[in-house]
Amino acid sequence: MTCIDDGILRARLDGELAGTELTEVNQHLAACADCGARFERLSAETARTADLLTTLALVGNDSALNPAVAYAQFRSQFGTADEPKDSWISRLFAPRWRPAWGLAAGTVVVAILVGVSPVRTWAQRVLAMLRVQKIAVVTIDPSTLMTGREPDSRPYKLINQFMADNVVVTMDPGKPDIVPSVTKAAQLAGYPISTIGSLGAPQSIEVNGETAFQMTINRDRIEMLLEEVGRSDIRIPDSANGALIAVHIPRTVISMYGDCPARHSHAISDTQSQAEALAERKMERMASMNNTNCTYLVQAPSPTVSVPPELKMAEIAEAALQLTGMSPSEAHSFCQTVDWSSTMVVPIPRNTSSYETVSVDGVEGTLITETLSQGNRYSLLWIKNGVIHSLAGHGNSSDALTLAASLR
Amino acid sequence: MGTAQTLNRSMTLRESSSKHWDEADFRVIFLQHYARIVAILVRLLGDRSPAEEVANDAFWRLYHQPALQIDCNVGGWLYRTATNLGIDALRASGRRRQYEGTAGRLVEERTVAGPLDDLLREEKCRRVRSVLASIKPAQAQLLILRNSGLSYKELADALNVKMSGIGTMLIRAEEEFRNRYLALHPNELHPNEEEL
Repeated sequence: MTCIDDGILRARLDGELAGTELTEVNQHLAACADCGARFERLSAETARTADLLTTLALVGNDSALNPAVAYAQFRSQFGTADEPKDSWISRLFAPRWRPAWGLAAGTVVVAILVGVSPVRTWAQRVLAMLRVQKIAVVTIDPSTLMTGREPDSRPYKLINQFMADNVVVTMDPGKPDIVPSVTKAAQLAGYPISTIGSLGAPQSIEVNGETAFQMTINRDRIEMLLEEVGRSDIRIPDSANGALIAVHIPRTVISMYGDCPARHSHAISDTQSQAEALAERKMERMASMNNTNCTYLVQAPSPTVSVPPELKMAEIAEAALQLTGMSPSEAHSFCQTVDWSSTMVVPIPRNTSSYETVSVDGVEGTLITETLSQGNRYSLLWIKNGVIHSLAGHGNSSDALTLAASLR
Repeated sequence: MGTAQTLNRSMTLRESSSKHWDEADFRVIFLQHYARIVAILVRLLGDRSPAEEVANDAFWRLYHQPALQIDCNVGGWLYRTATNLGIDALRASGRRRQYEGTAGRLVEERTVAGPLDDLLREEKCRRVRSVLASIKPAQAQLLILRNSGLSYKELADALNVKMSGIGTMLIRAEEEFRNRYLALHPNELHPNEEEL
């Protein structure tokens, strides 16, 4: 018998061999000093790793776990009815995504946002301060990015990993304040708050605290992850490596009209924990079942994004757009059409969404409609006096414009 | 506990147009796999609460994948999905200390070895999780599943690989894990390390 490869030796060590194969391997090990030595070395290495990994087994206590009870809880938590598929728009713009949206502003690099417009210096590293002044839409294939539903949703994982490893929250928004009136909301937020006149008083108003975070771009890390998702063709520009990006999101006001789902349960903690992320997703699902009569008006002053002046945002945006399924030439062409100094680029799904430019509140706005089996949803975006407005709900584009006409 | 692929053959094969599993069939699968999946995720995340959250997420996804009802490897799918989600959660947590703190508290509640041992164990758990979060997800997945007691056959089913390749994959994953661990904690060399 020729010498035994390490994989089989390992299987022997793990008791995974049987029958004649086991007999043959045992006989060979008894006769071959070289294989015997390798087997001993393998045993020692395996034991050393096992010693570390089994530490984890000492933590936790599953003695009280009752699957039947867990099943009942699962059912009460998730229900049994079919849920409507999440709207891409609602995922992007629904208020519960505001924190995620804030992070999306950071994902910038990988997914959305702005360009370079040096305004003033910051902390000596000085960076260009970017503010959103206008909105552009790009159609993408959502199945390639952030679907977040499929178990092997690799691009989603990629972004998560990247965020986890590189983002430092420097200002935690805490829990939102539920305020009784628009006046109070405006006082807290520090800027005038619009309301939808034709819908009467909002059912509830929330003021979310300021958020700030920083991230450092690690090109090797991103490229390694891109390789993992099979996109090693995408290159991250040299200028991006090591760049520190700081994002500041001012207070945001969310007004809810109609039968909007309760947004804040005990499950949402004030930290950016994984439990929170899960709870938030869960709430999102539950909320999506029953909110056909719910309309949101979100008002958010432009996030401020600070980047090193040498960072070439257009090149990064090209990489990000390729990740969404665009060809390199398409991405390049698109990036040439966008003023990266001041534009928030909103990705929408190619097949189910459409958008048009409309007049709203005296300025130009972007009206995105999404066609779903449960009916249409819309999101009307515009920027006025430096504040990004998002009016989102169920219905057709005409519904959005009617509501917007009654803004006051 | 039995493996994953023992799907009840009497299940009704549903039309592909169905949006979710048959309730009774789903319950059987849930009861069969839930405890073991939570136990695996507890190792990974250090606490029951997030482990159950992640397990529920995996089962919720399964519920909406009716095509898997006719797949004999539904258990493999569950282990793969749950550990993918768990590793994502581990990596996504920029504040792992929260979990480590919880894990440490659990240790504190139940061990009798003394506070110093508890502290050392807590620190070791923190390091191990940190290294698992830093290596390739597929390797971390293999290590956590094997360390949770899955056989080669179960691993092959869960990871969609050939059983004959598991031994080699384990060697590589463990080597990567050890190297990363020792690079971060060079003073923690096992006594045997010096001899090799």
